[in-house]
Amino acid sequence: MTLSDLEHSVSRGYQDIEEVKRYTGFGTGPCQGKECLALVASELARLTGQPPSTIKPFTSRPPLAPTPLRLLARDPGAHRFDDDREDG
Amino acid sequence: MQPVMDDEEDESRADVSGEIRLPATLAGTGPLPDKAEIVIVGGGVVGLAIAYYLARRGMQDVVVIERGYLAEGASGRNGGGVRQQWSTEINIRLMQESVELCRRFAVDLGVNVWFRQGGYLFLARSTAEVARLERNIALQNRCGVATRMLDPEQAQDIVPELDLTGIVGASYNPTDGILFPWPFLWGYARQAAARGVKIFTQTAVTGLEPAIVASAAAGGTGGFTVHTPRGSIKARRVVNATGAWSPQLAKLVGVDVPTYPIRHEICSSEPLKPFLRPMVSELASGLYCSQSMRGEIVGGVTLPGHESTYAMGSTLKFLSTYARRLVRLMPILGDIKILRQWAGPYDQSPDGNPVLGPAPTHPDFFLACGFVGHGFMMAPIVGKLYAEWLTGGAPHEIFSRYRLARFTDGSGAAQPKEDFNIG
Amino acid sequence: MRGEAVEVRIADTSVRAFADESIAAALVASGAHVLSRSLKYHRPRTFFCLEGHCSGCLVRIGGVPNLRACQAPCLAGTEVMGQNAFPSAEVDLLGAVDFVFSRGLDHHTLMTGSSMLNRLANKVVRQLSGLGKLPDVAASQHPEVQRYDVDVCVIGGGPAGLEAANQVARAGRSTVVVDDQLRPGGSLRTDPRAGRALAEATWRAATSAGAAVLSRSTAIGFFPEDDGGVLAVAAPDRLYRIYAKQWIWATGGYAANLPFPDNDRPGVIAARAVGRLLVDHGILAGDRVCVIEVPRMVDAASALAAGLVEAGAEVHRVALDRVEGVRGRSWTSAVDTADGKYDCDLVAVAAIPAPASEGARQQGCQVVLDPTVGGFKIVVDDLGRTSTPNVWACGDVCGYLGPAASAADGARVGANVAAS
Repeated sequence: MTLSDLEHSVSRGYQDIEEVKRYTGFGTGPCQGKECLALVASELARLTGQPPSTIKPFTSRPPLAPTPLRLLARDPGAHRFDDDREDG
Repeated sequence: MQPVMDDEEDESRADVSGEIRLPATLAGTGPLPDKAEIVIVGGGVVGLAIAYYLARRGMQDVVVIERGYLAEGASGRNGGGVRQQWSTEINIRLMQESVELCRRFAVDLGVNVWFRQGGYLFLARSTAEVARLERNIALQNRCGVATRMLDPEQAQDIVPELDLTGIVGASYNPTDGILFPWPFLWGYARQAAARGVKIFTQTAVTGLEPAIVASAAAGGTGGFTVHTPRGSIKARRVVNATGAWSPQLAKLVGVDVPTYPIRHEICSSEPLKPFLRPMVSELASGLYCSQSMRGEIVGGVTLPGHESTYAMGSTLKFLSTYARRLVRLMPILGDIKILRQWAGPYDQSPDGNPVLGPAPTHPDFFLACGFVGHGFMMAPIVGKLYAEWLTGGAPHEIFSRYRLARFTDGSGAAQPKEDFNIG
Repeated sequence: MRGEAVEVRIADTSVRAFADESIAAALVASGAHVLSRSLKYHRPRTFFCLEGHCSGCLVRIGGVPNLRACQAPCLAGTEVMGQNAFPSAEVDLLGAVDFVFSRGLDHHTLMTGSSMLNRLANKVVRQLSGLGKLPDVAASQHPEVQRYDVDVCVIGGGPAGLEAANQVARAGRSTVVVDDQLRPGGSLRTDPRAGRALAEATWRAATSAGAAVLSRSTAIGFFPEDDGGVLAVAAPDRLYRIYAKQWIWATGGYAANLPFPDNDRPGVIAARAVGRLLVDHGILAGDRVCVIEVPRMVDAASALAAGLVEAGAEVHRVALDRVEGVRGRSWTSAVDTADGKYDCDLVAVAAIPAPASEGARQQGCQVVLDPTVGGFKIVVDDLGRTSTPNVWACGDVCGYLGPAASAADGARVGANVAAS
């Protein structure tokens, strides 16, 4: 995302970091905010005049890194439905 | 103000300049108004839809109170599915109207919700499931929904990535679709506010006090005082649109709402170039997935044995189960990566149907809850019908059919049960 | 320093690379620039962090989309393709999006004027969306799932994590370290003051002390659902389920960018990535390097500059608040500063690494935003305990320290865990 995307979002009234995430899509791409969360949070504090310590990060959601479905598909913790084949 | 049951676009759409500015009251710290004709508690899609349609009917003295930010609850956590494939006539007919409203939403409300009618494909793995789909299709066809039964090869023509092993049939309705949930709420909020509705976020309702009625002759009850940390509002009528939290709000006035929160999980993949047209769902596991406008595969699966909880944490069990079922159904997705998982609360009702209309003991306390995970797709039409009724229109049959008293007076048993709540 | 020579194919051209190095390193050494295009504005994208955390180097490898070139090893015959661009990543016709909407694009309100226009917008946007196409073939591999039950699990195999693991393993605790990189060592592999040899020695020492160190193993989430909680860890060929009595978060920080105009141009890359190429791969990524830095990172920037100069590069250092812009569209050609234009073929951004604290947050650990040390740092007490019982943290994830101080912090906290 760009700084002007953030300024635009704040000027539209989306000032909570969760709302900024939803309005701009930041933190929902392949890096899930690793590149930009700290910078966006710091800039948000500056733009809205809030002390940094009052800014909370958006909820940390698994998986922490992109995870292929095939790695998870054989996890023994998966629920087996009636029709699940033994060989999975 | 023009009537609501029109078919033309909303010519009165405000603020078409091209920017979604939320109401100024949203992030404000100022005091609440002293009084309002209607206070809607819950800034989710149901509450905002009611507010928007009230405003369109000329009712501007409306306040919406949201505990968190808009879209914090289930409205911001669902997969955006909008379908007409149901097992009861009333739901089919309601959803036919909702689909129409979704089609017009971007232009009516001035915000893109990326509604895409790629259809819904329900896959059956047993003859019993096929029979169930056939029953539903017959009913849907009677209502004018063009759902049809497909053999496995026809299903594969629509989704070539399907592994047909074990698939015995499918139902397909091409006019079902998906949308992007968040802007839906912003559109209602902005257009409601432009017509005078006041919306307050980050404001929790801490108390709900029935006014003492000075005189019954003065016209029924005296409404409520709605208490919040930002001040109190005297409201003639209160609408409970708090989704899974509805029983808690109702409790504040001593009303028992027998719905309960169930955590449902969902996840999203990396964005891929478009390949998947319909929402695909498998009855055996409750697996569903669709491709969002951004290209992500968004979907979930039904884990059995849910306990009632407000905890919205994510589980590895969900992720593994979803992966297992999805890779089995579409093996080409094995190397596709999951980026994010989350959860949201279904407001589960005992009979799978919503709870609408006033509480028997408090005729000015209106319920709009119990949508069992389908409040998003039903909100446009339910919001519209609710607003018509609250502004003097004749009540639609849903308000008697789905009244709270059905759980205690035995009348609910006569109602057809909706058994097609998926995901 | 580069290993055995192998041939890989990049965009249908044969490129000479070296075993053990990442595809990203091979790309840099071969002079390949633009790898893909960004999702929204179709801006040219290339590597930035070289640590597997940014989305700059997503490519198609062996028919699988959206893989990070910096985390994929060069194997003989590997096929690498760019993605999300037409006709090629270097010349992308859809890059016009960025010119047409040069003042920013609010896709929420785009073309909502009429039904016809809106249906068109929906069609066009859907066709433009997505990064990468479906895989060529269904994966035939059936990965294993392996369970670890240990006394201590350390997340992060950089200086702090390896030193902490060394301490707890030496005290007789069964210890596993999970590290997401091709090889453990973390920031030691990026800093000329430390060097590749120190990274290897620190890794060996932890292993000798008895710790199992898993490479290319990424903690994907802490799930509290069973047996007191499980850490799921994804490796290329298997999923690990790790159960531990004590947890130590030593995930360090993410290489971050700084806010200045044009900071997303190709050729603007993390100073730590420049350091990694030099220290770990023996690749000098530019002949004229402009280092943009903030006061907290002056020491690290000085060390990097000295290393680059020693390797034969010309280096110009400029403070963030003097930067006015970056020139060069397909690759950086100059930096405009308040003191004039500086021609360069690489821009190295020395920002404070952002603490990688979101995994610890899933265990309930309290964090606080502290921009002076890079972002959301884990809050710890004097011993290194987080707000969650049996969960500890050390190194840059508690606020930027740098490689040497992180190593010392890891050893200190590791000793505290061993004594607990």
